[in-house]
Amino acid sequence: MSDAQGRAAVLTVEGASKHFGSVAALRAADLEVFPGEVLGIVGDNGAGKSTLLKVLSGIHTPTDGRMTVAGAEVHFSSPADARRAGISTVQQDLALVEVLDIATNLYLGDFPKRGLLVDRKRMEREATELLRRLNVRVSSVLTPVASLSGGQRQIIAISRAVRLESARVVLLDEPTAALGVQETAHVGEIIDNLRDSGKAVVLISHDMEFVFEHADRIQVMRLGKTARALRVSETSRDEIIALITGAKQL
Amino acid sequence: MTTDSTPVIEDGARNVTLGDRVQEILKRQEVTLVGVILVFGIIITVLNPVFATPSNILDLFRATVVYFVAACGLTLVVVAGGFDFSVGSAFTLGAIGATWLMTHGVPWPVAALGGVALGFVVGLINSVIIDRLRVPPIITTLGMFYFIAGAVVLFTGGRDIQPLPDGFNAFGKGTLLGIPVLIWYAVAIGIIFHIVLQHTRFGYNVKAVGGNLDAAVANGISRVRTNAWLYAVGGAIAALAGILYSARTGSGQVSAGGSTVTLTAISAVLIGGTSLFGGVGSIAGTALGALLFATIQNGLAIASVPAQYSNMIIGAILVIAVAVDSYRRRRSLLKLLS
Ligand SMILES: Nc1ncnc2c1ncn2[C@@H]1O[C@H](COP(=O)(O)OP(=O)(O)O)[C@@H](O)[C@H]1O
Ligand SMILES: [Mg+2]
Repeated sequence: MSDAQGRAAVLTVEGASKHFGSVAALRAADLEVFPGEVLGIVGDNGAGKSTLLKVLSGIHTPTDGRMTVAGAEVHFSSPADARRAGISTVQQDLALVEVLDIATNLYLGDFPKRGLLVDRKRMEREATELLRRLNVRVSSVLTPVASLSGGQRQIIAISRAVRLESARVVLLDEPTAALGVQETAHVGEIIDNLRDSGKAVVLISHDMEFVFEHADRIQVMRLGKTARALRVSETSRDEIIALITGAKQL
Repeated sequence: MTTDSTPVIEDGARNVTLGDRVQEILKRQEVTLVGVILVFGIIITVLNPVFATPSNILDLFRATVVYFVAACGLTLVVVAGGFDFSVGSAFTLGAIGATWLMTHGVPWPVAALGGVALGFVVGLINSVIIDRLRVPPIITTLGMFYFIAGAVVLFTGGRDIQPLPDGFNAFGKGTLLGIPVLIWYAVAIGIIFHIVLQHTRFGYNVKAVGGNLDAAVANGISRVRTNAWLYAVGGAIAALAGILYSARTGSGQVSAGGSTVTLTAISAVLIGGTSLFGGVGSIAGTALGALLFATIQNGLAIASVPAQYSNMIIGAILVIAVAVDSYRRRRSLLKLLS
């Protein structure tokens, strides 16, 4: 469990299974990701990508399987556990509270306190600084998320995941689904910066071009199973597509 | 939804300005309510000047504060997307429990705390039924409402509990600076609940859970823990309202509380702009809702309008308030889709 430079994997999963009633969404899926790399995950709709990510982020408890963070075995029974272990996530549904403002959404579950009370001033100031640093344009952080466009919401959800400085791993589920060309490039930059700052990134995306541009390795999922991750330099779009469609065995 | 005329990226967010804050305030239901109460008050005063006398205004406040106290906890519950029919029964239980204890040798402050604890436990049981047995809040708390109402009558044999200790009676009857202490208590409780809802992590979590439960949970907020506190505090404060009412009236009344308190508290919360759809609401709104409720009842009585009309008006206002909330929701949704 170490990469070419001898670094240890920061997050691993072995044999993760998840059943919803009679549906087997995950069948003994494996994954490992190293600090300073982007692992792309691709696969058809229903392949189990989001389910795997929800297992990693503590939303689902796997029916079976073993998970480690920085070498130590972990069991997440809630998203709070995963966050404490340094895993930060952008869920496919974005997990934003529409009626609340941007600043509050950026700090959900982790509001800064001053004495007994939430430090509202600091929250607004830091939220504004964060969005400025990431070049995200919104009128102000008091804007309710309900009045943002789909693309803006996606950027806010991504900003929130990036905000968590203690995060060692950032999980992104379809982070560019609602974005235009320019915005997609912007998210690509954010992902590159995360890698350069030594974080491990797991990137689920349908956008093959985006994945090839930003991932170091690509792992295909099909029918709840995972293939061995392939280095981007050692594979091709054709091979990945063959794996996705099942033309080539995982 | 994907193509937006204003680019998402470019400059950053601009700083929050005073203008932003003023705009936020003007959009609020509280502002509308103050206007409605003022207009109504002026009309009644023109019809009968007695309405605006200090003694009538104090009466009006005194009549409304116990409902307001009971509605404070309910406000938080509704903001969290829940509901609590059992507040009226928790009110009765608190009153009967505390007065029974203090007439059986327990010092009255301890007895009062005991009554509050009973309400707390009732709320905890509500939350366990809601979260573990997955029974919807409306059903759970309606069941609890009936259960306690029956139990209280069984326990007391339908008889009120009196006389109560002098110290306890004084606690509910005095005045401070010419204003009944009961009103001061309600103001203090209202301020505490306002701070809890608007300025503590718990309050932020309550809004998040009510606004989008899945999102709140995905961000590490515990639904079970939030609900346990919510319903427990809701039950406790309703019980305290019942205890305050006993102190004011000098007896633990079996018929106090019940559906009157439940319905008045619910009306105050909803008229006050707290959304049944969750995530939105305020204690100030609830206070104004309770005040509007009391103003209409008191004002129409003073203007010699039969009580049936005031019920009709309150019914209409309740529906209008929720319709306005629903319209606001739809409008923001439409804006989003266009
Ligand atoms: N909460 C759930 N309950 C029942 N079935 C689910 C649930 N979540 C996912 N599934 C099923 O699990 C399979 C994998 O879904 P998902 O992980 O969302 O796929 P992907 O993200 O790769 O498109 C699908 O068949 C889906 O219908
Ligand atoms: Mg998915």
